[in-house]
Amino acid sequence: MEGKNTNFLRSALKAKEVGILLILVLLSVLIQLKNPIFFTFSNLMDMGRNTSYTLIIAIGMTFVLIAKGLDLSVGSLLAICGLISALGMQGGIPVVLSVLLGLLAGAAFGTFNALCIVKLKIPAMIATLGTMYMARGLVLVITKGQAVYPLPDSFTAFGKGSLLGIPNVVLLAVALAAIAHIVLTKTTYGRKVYAIGGNAETAGFAGINVAKITASVYVISGVMAALSGIMTAARMGSGQPSVGDGTEMTVITAVIIGGTSLNGGAGTMLGTILGALLMNVLSSGMNLVGVSAYWQKFVMGLIIIVAVGLDQYQRGKRRS
Amino acid sequence: MEKILELKNVSKSFGKVSVFRNIDLELYRGEILALVGENGAGKSTMMNLLGGVYPCGQYEGDIFVKGNVCRFRDANDSKTAGIEMIHQEISLHTELTVAENVLLGNWKESRGLIHWKNTYEEAEKYLKKVKLDVEPKTMAYNLSTSQQQLLSIAKALATNPQIVLFDEPTSALTETDADNLIGIIKDLSKNGISCIYISHKLEEVFALADRIAVLRDGNLISTYAKEKVNVDRIIEDMVGRKLEEMYPKRKLPIGEEALRVEGITIPHPYVKNKNLVEDVSFSVSKGEILGFSGLVGSGRSETMNAIFGSLKKSAGVVRLEGNPVQIRSAKEAIGMGIGMVTEDRKKTGIIAPMNLRENMTIASLDMVSSGAFINKKKEKSISGEFYEKLSVKANGIEDNIMNLSGGNQQKIVLSKWLMKDIKVLILDEPTRGVDVGAKVEIYNIITELAEKGIAVIMVSSELPELLGMCDRIIVLSRGRVTGNIGRDDFSQECIMRAATGVETWGI
Repeated sequence: MEGKNTNFLRSALKAKEVGILLILVLLSVLIQLKNPIFFTFSNLMDMGRNTSYTLIIAIGMTFVLIAKGLDLSVGSLLAICGLISALGMQGGIPVVLSVLLGLLAGAAFGTFNALCIVKLKIPAMIATLGTMYMARGLVLVITKGQAVYPLPDSFTAFGKGSLLGIPNVVLLAVALAAIAHIVLTKTTYGRKVYAIGGNAETAGFAGINVAKITASVYVISGVMAALSGIMTAARMGSGQPSVGDGTEMTVITAVIIGGTSLNGGAGTMLGTILGALLMNVLSSGMNLVGVSAYWQKFVMGLIIIVAVGLDQYQRGKRRS
Repeated sequence: MEKILELKNVSKSFGKVSVFRNIDLELYRGEILALVGENGAGKSTMMNLLGGVYPCGQYEGDIFVKGNVCRFRDANDSKTAGIEMIHQEISLHTELTVAENVLLGNWKESRGLIHWKNTYEEAEKYLKKVKLDVEPKTMAYNLSTSQQQLLSIAKALATNPQIVLFDEPTSALTETDADNLIGIIKDLSKNGISCIYISHKLEEVFALADRIAVLRDGNLISTYAKEKVNVDRIIEDMVGRKLEEMYPKRKLPIGEEALRVEGITIPHPYVKNKNLVEDVSFSVSKGEILGFSGLVGSGRSETMNAIFGSLKKSAGVVRLEGNPVQIRSAKEAIGMGIGMVTEDRKKTGIIAPMNLRENMTIASLDMVSSGAFINKKKEKSISGEFYEKLSVKANGIEDNIMNLSGGNQQKIVLSKWLMKDIKVLILDEPTRGVDVGAKVEIYNIITELAEKGIAVIMVSSELPELLGMCDRIIVLSRGRVTGNIGRDDFSQECIMRAATGVETWGI
């Protein structure tokens, strides 16, 4: 029994996520020393809530990056799908159906991305960049720059609500991350996602339908972006046209800090969770410590370089 | 003779794993020294050490060039000392012209701009040295594999090296092209350039080398003058045991027809009204090993890809056990019991970020899962079984595939199909880049498959391998079948005559 425990400890220490976990802990301790508000329940829940909106999209992005793809459209999809749900509710469609409508829209945009990439062979970066502008444009056309509100109370109540003190959105994000972890590590589908990201040609020769799996990750990404958009609308009580601007970069950063490789074939959900957390602890921590907003972007950039640099260094060491 | 390069007591290890120990080796001016040994013996690492890939401080011992001790910090230091490397994997800038590649980074300039005329003229000089007859303005991607290999050599010569290291330069070439390359290397040595030549092909080594050094498990076992040694002795030194029989061919009763191909035609992807493969027909029976020979561009791999559904054919029928079948994708081919080991292991055989277990089961996920979920226990036991059975040399099934030598990687690729219940196995260059020891192991596996009644199609550029292993050989020349030769009529000559299109045989 003891042997098993030490084995577990040893493999846990060897895990790739240890580095980023250490940074996260260290950072938290530093912030706490400067400002004891950090480790209060309400602040932690606040950070958890903020992290969750990023994390939900990052779950989809992890699938995309593992499959050696890229999805720049998530920020715009967040906006348009949240908006579609909000418009549905204003138009008298029941809340649950409106939410479904928003998710469906996410799936439809994801499918559009997938078709451009798989059928038209447009590089993922270009295809999703196009979708990003088109979706953002549609948002502005529909709203003419105006927010859509008010939204039904039952909807906003869910967005702002909590269970046993834990915000609903946190519970949702954690549950989805857990499911995504299981899908990636335990199912044949997950294995195929890693395989096409690791080497699409080999995967094809092994009988994997590369086009189908590639398409699927963009649909997942679209739905996740939609869900995050709907939860954002529920929290704000309105559909905002400018919401999610630049979110794609935050999300991609979180996933990459979490150890997922842009070269495809590698990455974990645990890493993505830690990456999303780190991004958030950092920004809220800097506020708590009183770092000027001007410096915050700089520090964020520095952290990306340090985190990915450390990861590369570790990989190099493991290889030799 | 002048000693141009000397290694004194050189050892190299990666962490705890020692690659080679206490190597003493000399190279004289104008000499061709062949370095042979199984994969993992340490040859490539030694080349990389000389090439500055592993800088000074990462190894023990001393390297002397013309009597001066050298401490290379990187590949540039090594180039400055007059050492050039020709890698096994051709690495050119295919989006640049031939001339730009030859003089990469040293283009002729005038007033800060590239002087193209001088650049082309200068490049032509080196192209002539390697007998590469192409326009310097040609884009490198238009060159065939062999031409690209010659181009790499021209590029190396452009720095006026004194020592050129060749790491299996012919592994991607056909025999004719390889012969041409050997002639060129001989010319280099006549001009006073010293060469170290790594190869698995012993005929090549004997045709080329002045001296032969054998490495085994990181030790320098022996060094011979070529005249004083024979192939058997070298192989014995390499594997450390008597090599009874290279080809474990067993005469087997040949069963019913497994696969029949009728009139396959594959159009050229870019040129209209031109076919890569035209009207190719053949059949292979259960328990038979059918060889496929032909020069580069003869359409061997294309034919196999068309059968496997990964290349579109414009005409032709495939029959499996007598029934016509439609195969439009690799997935469908696999579903019908056809497996294929592809020509390019790195590109289409392995998945680099995955471990051995994941690589082995990637075509058999259905077999190791219940519903959508992978059954880890089952996966481990099946991959473990084949890992043991093929005596793969690695740190267990969780090891990353990139840590393995070529031969061991190939065993993993083979096991992908061995664990499936297949009727036909297509092997495209199954022993490319594989050392002698592992080759024999792979031949044994192939023989075993035939004994089990699997129809094996073996495409190979190495004639001895086809002659040693096959029951029948189909020869292709420029997309057409020019030979169908039974084992009793096998000879290198008749195959080469058919392959070059001089005459047809048996059709």
